Amino acid sequence: MTDREMTIHSKQEVEGEERTRPGRTFVPDVDICETPDSLFLWADMPGVDEQSVDVNLAEGVLTIEGRVSLSEYESLNPIYSEYRVGNYARRFTVSSDVDAARIKGRVKDGVLELELPKAERAKPRRIEITAA
Amino acid sequence: MTLLRFPRSFDPVADLLRLQQEIDRMFENPFGLNLGVSGRGVFPAVNIFQDKAGYVARLEVPGVAPDTLRVEAHGRVLAISGKRDLPAPAGGSYHRRERSGGEFSRSIQLPDDLDVAKAEAAYRNGVLTVRIPKRAEAQPRPITVQTA
Repeated sequence: MTDREMTIHSKQEVEGEERTRPGRTFVPDVDICETPDSLFLWADMPGVDEQSVDVNLAEGVLTIEGRVSLSEYESLNPIYSEYRVGNYARRFTVSSDVDAARIKGRVKDGVLELELPKAERAKPRRIEITAA
Repeated sequence: MTLLRFPRSFDPVADLLRLQQEIDRMFENPFGLNLGVSGRGVFPAVNIFQDKAGYVARLEVPGVAPDTLRVEAHGRVLAISGKRDLPAPAGGSYHRRERSGGEFSRSIQLPDDLDVAKAEAAYRNGVLTVRIPKRAEAQPRPITVQTA
């Protein structure tokens, strides 16, 4: 049994934006973690594979998008539902200087994982204090 | 006049909109069908569909390694359990933490005419799909029409 029950957030639709893509788009749950060298991001995008994900960084805004395939829903009629199905999109303002050329990403088990290495000049630098 | 007409299966947009509408309808009326599903809001979320062969349960389990997933049949009850590990870089500080990790288990009680013991499960891209066929005696059977 579980020690602590894992809960889910109901998917929220992306708001305040007109989209050219049809259908509903939801906000993926994310974790963002910063280390001295990099920013790490994980986004839950169940149903998305590496061919159907887009990651863009332009002018300090990171955009992640994922499209779900509907082929597995053919000839299925819903009778009970706890989650809604649709594409995913989310944007973030990236505060530290990120080295766009070295961004690495992959999709594993429906999770987008990104590593955004910081540019050299944005890394914290230790300043040596010497005695006079 | 219609110049081009594609069969509906070639129209992903219409399919997406139709599927979303149908799921929304179910989402807003969770008590339309009593499936004995308890724990709405508990990980993992489940959607249940019907097709000709029986029921299809689709559970969102992103980030769960396939080798930790367990699907078991106990009579009419389908039990699903597993573990979600969240990687954490050493010495990092979190700006956002919206995902939760740990062990989970859920069971779904299914109608009598399904053969839970014959269920088949597949895992792809963070979605677990379990197909539960109807019992042989519950399958539609053609009845010969006698003519005089």
